[in-house]
Amino acid sequence: MSELNSAAATSSVRTRKYAPVQEDWISKTLAGCILGIALAFIASSLFALIGPGGLETPNKIQFNMWIVPPIWMTIFSLVYLFRSGLRAWLWLGSFTVVGAIVLVLVRTLGGE
Amino acid sequence: MRGPLLKIYKTLHTWVGLIAGMALFIAFYAGALTMFKEPLSRWATPEQWGAQHWPSENQLPDLIKQLITTQPDAAKSFTLHLQQQENTPAAFTWRQGRESTLTWYANLSGDNQLEIHSYEPSAMADLIDRLHQTAGIPGDGHHAVGVYVMGVISVLYILAIVSGLIILLPNLLKDFFSLRESKSPKRFWMDAHNLVGITSLPFHIVIGLTVIVFAFHDQIYDGLGKMAYGDRPLFARPADAPTPSQYTLEQLLPPDQLVAKVKNIAPGFIPRELMYNGVLSARASVRIAGEDPEHMLRGANRGFVSLDPYTGEITDKDYLPGHESGWVNIVITFFALHFGSYGGDPIRWIYFFLGLGGAFVFYTGNLLWVESRRRRQRPHGETVQQARNTRFMAAATVGVCWGCIAGISSAMVAGKWLYPVGTPVNDWYIWVYYSVFLASVAWAFFRGAGRAAVELLWLCSLSTLAIPITALLALLIPNSPAWFHTSADLLLVELTALVAAGIFAHMAIKTRRRLENAAPDSVWGETGYTKKVNPEKGFSANPESPAVT
Repeated sequence: MSELNSAAATSSVRTRKYAPVQEDWISKTLAGCILGIALAFIASSLFALIGPGGLETPNKIQFNMWIVPPIWMTIFSLVYLFRSGLRAWLWLGSFTVVGAIVLVLVRTLGGE
Repeated sequence: MRGPLLKIYKTLHTWVGLIAGMALFIAFYAGALTMFKEPLSRWATPEQWGAQHWPSENQLPDLIKQLITTQPDAAKSFTLHLQQQENTPAAFTWRQGRESTLTWYANLSGDNQLEIHSYEPSAMADLIDRLHQTAGIPGDGHHAVGVYVMGVISVLYILAIVSGLIILLPNLLKDFFSLRESKSPKRFWMDAHNLVGITSLPFHIVIGLTVIVFAFHDQIYDGLGKMAYGDRPLFARPADAPTPSQYTLEQLLPPDQLVAKVKNIAPGFIPRELMYNGVLSARASVRIAGEDPEHMLRGANRGFVSLDPYTGEITDKDYLPGHESGWVNIVITFFALHFGSYGGDPIRWIYFFLGLGGAFVFYTGNLLWVESRRRRQRPHGETVQQARNTRFMAAATVGVCWGCIAGISSAMVAGKWLYPVGTPVNDWYIWVYYSVFLASVAWAFFRGAGRAAVELLWLCSLSTLAIPITALLALLIPNSPAWFHTSADLLLVELTALVAAGIFAHMAIKTRRRLENAAPDSVWGETGYTKKVNPEKGFSANPESPAVT
């Protein structure tokens, strides 16, 4: 019983401390869909460039293609865990920007 | 934190499931049947092609030379079948270009000459495969429009899988494997929905992700090409050899020697077809397709290996079962896990039931949505009317799901009886399927979900029962237009249909009985079948008011 009470107390403290989870259907869905695709392409491209075998290994492109949907759908299906659509856009957006910069750097340094 | 998140994922699960459910039902039911596409294609082929002279192994080299020198289309590309089967009229088949469905075949005449005919292969198994890939959504392009639609549907499907899992996680241990029949019918169906969904979770994740790839691989390749590969070609193409073939037809290796070269490195590989391409050109190649129950296969039931038909040198064993190199080996796994093309018939049957289980999950999911939106009758109140959208959804679910099943069974039967009518039988398959399917959907809206569920289940049962009855009639009536193949695995088609017809009849009777006891305040209570009102509910139906609205 006391555990239950303390759990309730903690959760009420949490509720006071943080804003509750917002539904934000449209902004979260767009973030998961669009930024999810962007991140999946960036991750797969980085794997293609600096993963084992690099760009030259025959047939590796098939594997690179196959890993795009799982990465995309992992982000898309978990995007609703963000506390708000804005946070989803900020977090995923930052990752996308950082990822894009790394990708450009890798391609430039790789002598493309 | 947990409560609101669960609520969000519950809403997500409901809506993506509702949008994707019916298309997925069709794709899964047809997909379960597609596990047996090859036997179904043989089953659907008229028997008059059976009695042909099948050339012996030592006649083949001479026949290949005859074929290439006399048939320019075959010189470009032809297939040599190593196994005589119901749907293989002859050892040699070829087509006039990729677009034409008209197929030519050549067999041995009495005096060791080639005898050439044309035929239109039965498209019944292809129709089921197309329903599997497109859910029956019409339209063609580079891929069928339905393939792209199913790609989008699969995105929703993955969202439904993950959200369904998240909803269940907190109570997973408590709810798992519990089928609470006592509490309420809805609880029972919910438990069944969860149980089948969770136990086949890996299968569903694999299917959903692979379908996204099947639909959008071109776009993904384009994107990766731009982002990572720059100007490099994504796929190595063989360079055009400047000179014409340096070999003469006399130097062509006989098929048994080509097969022996493959057997040398892959003893377990069972060759089925040899596809010769450009034999007279410098790029002559022969691709041997075959099975290997010990390994995962790239195709739905075939692995491949390519050779030079003159030297016997193996030019490409990327897709030879058990010999795939590094990355291909991983990619093959994804294909094989979708197709169930590993482990032979036992795995095919497991996939068959996983497919039916998937269809069950989508059907029950829709009905649970209907139930959870049910407008409850208040004690002593007027008979409530269910909301229009729940009645609509219930009717659509019943019509689409049972209409698809009845449509496929009807098309299978019609193909056998209408074959001699004159119109190409392949047109009949499509007309019969869509007529029965669309009529069932219309019927469900006209009669209401409750009554239509019983009637369409009977339609499913009778049309499926007509499959073995057709076989029986073909056996009994001399000169019947229908035919009956007696190979053991094709008798299984008749037997499976008989069992399925029994199951559908059982479901029809059970549903009817359930409707008789249905609470009047549900979409199932509006049938007029209701005998008594559930006494526990504590209200009585008003005998004056019409039960059907």
